[in-house]
Amino acid sequence: MSFFQITAANVWSMALNFIFLLWMSAILFGRIPRRGIKNAVICVLAGAGMVLLIATLGTICFLTGVWDWKYNLGALAWEYFVLACKALLLWFLYRISFRNCWLGVMMVEIMFTYGTLLSELYLYLFGKEFYRIAVMEERRSYLFWFLVVSPVCFMLCGLVIDKSGVGKIYRKWLEQEEIHKGIIVLLAIYPAILYIFEMEISVEQPKAAFLLLPLSMLLVIHVIFVYVGRDRQQRIYILAQQASLRQQTIYIEKMEQVQSELRRFRHDFQNMMAGMYLQAKEGDLDAVRNYIQEMTGDFDRQVGDQIKLMNQLGNIRVMEVKSLFLEKLIRMQQEEIPCILEAFPPFESTRMHMTDLCRCLGILLDNAMDEVKGKKDGKVWLMVSVQNGCTTFRIKNTLYGTVDFQQLGRQGYTTKGSGRGTGLESYQKILAKYDYVFSFTAIQDGYFVQELKIEEL
Amino acid sequence: MLPVYICEDDERIRDAERRWLEKQIVIEGLDMEIALCTGKPEELLAYLADGQRQGIYFLDVELKGASMDGFQLGQEIRKKDARGFLVYVTAFKELAFETFRYHLEALDYICKQEPEQMYAGLSQCLKIIAERVSREQGGPQEYFTVKTVDVVRHIPLEEILYFATAGRTHRLELHARQERLDFIGNMGELEERLKPHFIRVHRSFLVRVDQIAGIERKSMEIVLKNGERCPFSRNMRKKLESAEIPEA
Repeated sequence: MSFFQITAANVWSMALNFIFLLWMSAILFGRIPRRGIKNAVICVLAGAGMVLLIATLGTICFLTGVWDWKYNLGALAWEYFVLACKALLLWFLYRISFRNCWLGVMMVEIMFTYGTLLSELYLYLFGKEFYRIAVMEERRSYLFWFLVVSPVCFMLCGLVIDKSGVGKIYRKWLEQEEIHKGIIVLLAIYPAILYIFEMEISVEQPKAAFLLLPLSMLLVIHVIFVYVGRDRQQRIYILAQQASLRQQTIYIEKMEQVQSELRRFRHDFQNMMAGMYLQAKEGDLDAVRNYIQEMTGDFDRQVGDQIKLMNQLGNIRVMEVKSLFLEKLIRMQQEEIPCILEAFPPFESTRMHMTDLCRCLGILLDNAMDEVKGKKDGKVWLMVSVQNGCTTFRIKNTLYGTVDFQQLGRQGYTTKGSGRGTGLESYQKILAKYDYVFSFTAIQDGYFVQELKIEEL
Repeated sequence: MLPVYICEDDERIRDAERRWLEKQIVIEGLDMEIALCTGKPEELLAYLADGQRQGIYFLDVELKGASMDGFQLGQEIRKKDARGFLVYVTAFKELAFETFRYHLEALDYICKQEPEQMYAGLSQCLKIIAERVSREQGGPQEYFTVKTVDVVRHIPLEEILYFATAGRTHRLELHARQERLDFIGNMGELEERLKPHFIRVHRSFLVRVDQIAGIERKSMEIVLKNGERCPFSRNMRKKLESAEIPEA
């Protein structure tokens, strides 16, 4: 076969390979890379360029005999080269960490093995092990398999994967803070294992036998998924229980406070009524008005505010955020920082990763608290608002000093003296991972305002 | 003349508000008039034309028997009058005012439980509005309007120092004197839109010309008046030199 013929065949199989990769990665990552016609053109061009490059290089390697190296080392190295190229393409398209791209590529590789096996099963059942291309009839049936049967097999395989909801499980798994190192290694050596398996088994035994490998591989991954998932579920459950316990304790404390305030109020109320009665009798309406004002104001300050705070906290339904807010509210109470919380309408869920969101909010809240701590008339406002398909967290505090906007978020800059507060820098770093999260920082009418906005749709 | 609208379901309070406001307008000699006083939000909305000129709205939050509450009414008013002043007059202690202020750009909220407090609040609001209006008339300020997901922000152009590209795709950062935010945009389009006040000194930087204090040839950096620095590209050097920007 000529150089051109081999390259053409390579281009076809590589194109199949890459289309499968793009499809599966969209399922795994749960989104389409970069929207818009212009971006779609870029995606197609990048993919096509890579396919052509790999196909040509593959032909060169084939003709120069790289694949005939001892122990299939050449072919194996080639396999890893292609995988790296694929990961690079995903990284270019999705702009997520290279590690995640690599994991994605390896997962797709396992799925791809299924497509390959399915198409080889067809050969096993209806075709031949070896085709003589020189014979016209054999060439025709080979081409039928190559151009029609293989793509159909991959499509079937893809459809099954799409419908099985693998993507969701995969994304849940990625969400964990630390991904099991073992699974990364296991996935990374998968092509090598496959090669050894193929060398040892397929020569002697029917091809269908090595169906076992990807199957067992998936089984292992599945077990790990389930194990990790359950572990995670358990941790979330414990966290939720702890939070609710803490909430209950605080709630009871607050209620006791309210009760004792009410008792005090009842006592004062009787005295005030007696006083008021006398003033009214004397016809001193101003004094009566003052009494009423004092009474209602006092009641609001002591009892009403506490009830309001608890009501608003009840509107935060995301456990992790609720616990974080509770912690901070308690700290503010201890440090005597007045705080107003508004959560309206109820905040039920978000698509930002919980750990990242809590870290960001923690940083913003700490900034606000540190600024007003120990200062006169300092106050913190927290707003959580779910409107028009986006969630907004807005943290506002009284500002005493100045904020150097040019240094904000730069490496090592801190508003809190040396050696502390690298918070804003890590805040920016976390946000850099998200295309749908927006930040806003400003000084408005003597207040420092920090805002985090998540586009949920 | 600024039209004043009142929407309050309690007739007594509505009358008290109207009388007090009328009195204040006369005493202070303000360029305002009571245009409508009603208990029904629908009536108020029907009265407002699309593209309504700037008005002042005193709204109740809980409107008994009405099809919408004060928040929804505020949203509807905002569609017709984007620059109007919204003031909430309420007995509703649980009012999430920060949220109101944020989404509706509400000016203030007044508690109507104590008449004295309510009157003081009304007068204070009128005073603030009159001040704002006269300030706006003093000289029209140019604004840079940017939409981030669900909010539209107006930033005075002269407050902006520069725009920079952020690491994420299509993400731009706006750096102003007292503000910093990121939004989705395109540097090229922005450059066209903000000509000639802003100059593209680098692939990733669009700087306001009158904020440039000087250039530093050695480090290839532009020094801004507030001391901030941003890089400039080689082919911008001539342009900057011809604009007679001094060496820093």
